[in-house]
Amino acid sequence: MYELVRGPLAWAAFIIFIAGSLYRIIYMLAGCKKEKIVFPHMSLKHSLASLVHWVIPFNNQYMKQRPAFTIVTFAFHICLVVTPIFLLAHIILWDESWNISWWSMSDTIADYMTIIVIAGCIFFLYRRLTDPVVKNVTDASDYLLLAITALPFITGFIAYHQWFDYKTMLIIHILAGEIMLIAIPFTRLSHMLFFVFTRAYFGSEQGHVKHSKDW
Amino acid sequence: MKPTIAKREPVVDDAMDQTEAKLRPEQIQKVINEVIDKETGGRLWTYVNTCIHCGLCAEACQWYLSNDRDVSYAPVTKIKDTIWVMLKNKGAVDAAFIKRCAEIAYTECNLCRRCGMYCPFGIDIAYMLLVVRRICAKLDMVPLYLQDTVHSHAATMNQMWVKPDEWIDTLQWQEEEGQGYVPSARLPLEKEGAEIMYSVIGPEPKFLAQLLGNITAIMKVAGLDWTMPATAGWDNSNMAMYSGDFEVMARVERLHHETAQRLKVKKIVMGECGHAFRGAEYDGPTWMGWMKPPIPIVHAISFYYDLIKSGRIKIAKKAEGPITVQDPCNVIRNGGLGDKLRYIMNAVCAEFVDVTPNKRHNYCCNEGGGVINC
Amino acid sequence: MPDLGNWDWKSKEKMIADTAEWKARFEDVWEPYVSPDGEKIASIVKIGEGEFNVCVNGETWEEPYEKLWYSRFSPDGRLTVLASKDMEWTMAVDGKAWENSYEYIWDTKFSADGKVIAATVKQDDVYGIAVDEKTWECSKELQSIASYVISPDGKTVAAIAQTVPLGQADLEGFLKGTWSVVVNGKPWQNNFVDLYGLTISNDGKKIAAEYRAAICDYGIVVNGAPWETTAGCTWEPVFHPNNNDVVTAPVRQGGRWFLATNGTFVWDKGFTNILYQTYSPDGERIAATVATSFAKWTVAVDGQPWRTKFGECVLQPYFNPDGTKVAAIAKDRGFWFLVVDGTVLGDGAYYDNIWPPVFSPDGDKVICKVEKHGKYAIAVNGKIWGSKYEALWDPVISPDGTKVLIRGIEDKKYYRRIVPLASM
Repeated sequence: MYELVRGPLAWAAFIIFIAGSLYRIIYMLAGCKKEKIVFPHMSLKHSLASLVHWVIPFNNQYMKQRPAFTIVTFAFHICLVVTPIFLLAHIILWDESWNISWWSMSDTIADYMTIIVIAGCIFFLYRRLTDPVVKNVTDASDYLLLAITALPFITGFIAYHQWFDYKTMLIIHILAGEIMLIAIPFTRLSHMLFFVFTRAYFGSEQGHVKHSKDW
Repeated sequence: MKPTIAKREPVVDDAMDQTEAKLRPEQIQKVINEVIDKETGGRLWTYVNTCIHCGLCAEACQWYLSNDRDVSYAPVTKIKDTIWVMLKNKGAVDAAFIKRCAEIAYTECNLCRRCGMYCPFGIDIAYMLLVVRRICAKLDMVPLYLQDTVHSHAATMNQMWVKPDEWIDTLQWQEEEGQGYVPSARLPLEKEGAEIMYSVIGPEPKFLAQLLGNITAIMKVAGLDWTMPATAGWDNSNMAMYSGDFEVMARVERLHHETAQRLKVKKIVMGECGHAFRGAEYDGPTWMGWMKPPIPIVHAISFYYDLIKSGRIKIAKKAEGPITVQDPCNVIRNGGLGDKLRYIMNAVCAEFVDVTPNKRHNYCCNEGGGVINC
Repeated sequence: MPDLGNWDWKSKEKMIADTAEWKARFEDVWEPYVSPDGEKIASIVKIGEGEFNVCVNGETWEEPYEKLWYSRFSPDGRLTVLASKDMEWTMAVDGKAWENSYEYIWDTKFSADGKVIAATVKQDDVYGIAVDEKTWECSKELQSIASYVISPDGKTVAAIAQTVPLGQADLEGFLKGTWSVVVNGKPWQNNFVDLYGLTISNDGKKIAAEYRAAICDYGIVVNGAPWETTAGCTWEPVFHPNNNDVVTAPVRQGGRWFLATNGTFVWDKGFTNILYQTYSPDGERIAATVATSFAKWTVAVDGQPWRTKFGECVLQPYFNPDGTKVAAIAKDRGFWFLVVDGTVLGDGAYYDNIWPPVFSPDGDKVICKVEKHGKYAIAVNGKIWGSKYEALWDPVISPDGTKVLIRGIEDKKYYRRIVPLASM
């Protein structure tokens, strides 16, 4: 079972993630081309300006207005992306399979970052259950996406601390990671892919076309 | 997802009620799918597939804030109760649903675009609500007062059913009023080759004719070479843009810009109206295939800023008392004229008191977006 | 057309009037107009409080008026001005007012030879068209007139008019149709929601217009009979120059614009926009201003767009007399260019403004009025030729195609000049 999830399934997950992401981005760009006005309205300068103001914490007015949320969301998203990439255990797998490796973080830091991701998921779950606006627009898919996001971290955390049966937990963890990879292009987790584009367009429209700003 | 319960009386609108009785489901489905397939593209698809349902847009909306944070007014709620359902059901919705869509899109959203600026992804929620309006317009599900104004645009090319002779007559009358301030003032009609074509909104000749006398005096004092058309094409406003009747919108804008081309002017200077600026500067030209107006448009704020700054007009007496200003969304958040507006306010007011939030973070006045005519 | 052959094509230069002297004589002098033959220059002048007159070649009309506006020369050289006295309006032609006066009168138009003068009038809140002092007799009390056209021979006048009164906010009544076309006082049988783009055939026998059948449902109607199919949107139709059975208009289908003749697509591809379709003089070819994509404007001839595109706009195309060349005025990055068959003339010369070009009979030269740095000049094939003027009118080519009439104000003096085309 381990061999299956570690081998063919991992291959499949990465291929689907990469190919699926490319497909979705190309599909989106084709749709924008059809719309005629999208590309003529774009400007590199204003796209970058918008991104700079929205990927750096507290670099726009709204983030300053909601400091707690800003801190949580940045901590969550940074840890979500950084932890799996720089986790030593993951790099070893890359090294074993492809003979490539890169800088890794200490397991303690990774542990804390995993907790941050899980805490972030709990925070978002809490918002979904209690904030009337969020609750009103939440359906099963939102809980599912949250679960897909949280599961690799929860299982990874458990596996690392070797609670329960390590081997089983490891298999579940790998499976959870693979599910998440596959889910990214084909669910609203694709906001990870589209963020740059939606920001660039709105930044361009507000800056290049409307001579204003979007932060 | 269940529809959001809006705890308020349903809108009573004779026109919408009559349309609701007439609309057939297959007609609704056809129009929705036509608009979605033929008139939208990458933007709508990406927006819907990117929205993570975080609700952060709520805090941007003055409808939500001023109604004690009533969930039904949150921008994402308005999308949920309109576009999401249309997409999910592939257009199979009933007339009552379309009526509710019209209530939401026309009377509970001003298309002020503040929510787009507060969305972490920059999802242009107002654009999606304009798509909803487009669908409603094609189904004739438009509030009575708004539709009547659109019909006026369509029939007369102005917003207020002003007839051709009434327009010219009013200008000639107001020329005399302007001469009351500056005896040598003139309101030059149809002067080909003038530097500026001055265009206004329908309510000016209809209800606020004195503004035309005022501009006659101002232009004379500033020593500008200007003209106004004696034909249709004088009205720069466009409620058809807001109803979603883009064909009428384009015809109105085309005539406005072609009138400037016909008069061979270098630029169009327009009055204060924010939505008119949006229509004449962006929405109209975009539909026509122009990246920007073929004859540049100068909004009143830029115009007066230049006149005051260059000393072409001097302020003899400032207005007394504390005075504030509401930043109009279409020229400030969506036009970038916030600083120039403040320069003018300080130049004409003895005591200008700014608002918070201001400039592009302003709250919509709640009149815009076709909710109230002007 | 008036008989250009009778004009003075011999006098090399005539100084017709010194407008500087006018400024000294009158309280205010409005922008001048010149007659088509260039022999007369006229301005409305203010002679006192609430007293205006017209100064033609330095002479004022006998009678002053309280208000004057819209001074326009007819093609045969008569000066028409809309004039008001004692709260009533009329048309004054060469100093003589029409016998009738009106609540209001506006929008003066002429037959091609200038013999017929028409204008929209309002009397007792009823609208009509007055042709040579005689107002239409119409069976319906017209509520408004949006626009009108006059046939080249002046015998037919057609107007888009509101034939049915409409109450406030009467949406249902509006959608039943309140507008019709009225031809020489006789309304078409049908009413329409809206009518636009009225046009008349060269022989004056047929009238075409765009009509709106419902929200977002448009079509073309010819002499009251609509085309079989409707479209999402339309722009104004034009008649074939020599065949009044043929009408062509841009129509919008599925978000693209197509050119249609008598309801059938004639160009095989659609465009982002199509404007100002124009027939060649023999009617064999059609040129139109098109946007091949967003913000990419050019001219398409028989459906084939020029390779050169312009970012801002392109105005109406013009054929040369034998229909082999097409000229257009285009705008890109804030400047205007004169373009012929896709090539910018004058080595990429750009101007602050360009007026409609005229071709020489052999099509070799394109002549037009241009503006640069606040001065006006004649441009020949895109390059400035001769003096710079403070004011200038469109050049006219003599019927034999050898001479050009230039009418312009230089140093406040109005000159009428005749220049051999070969020397330009």
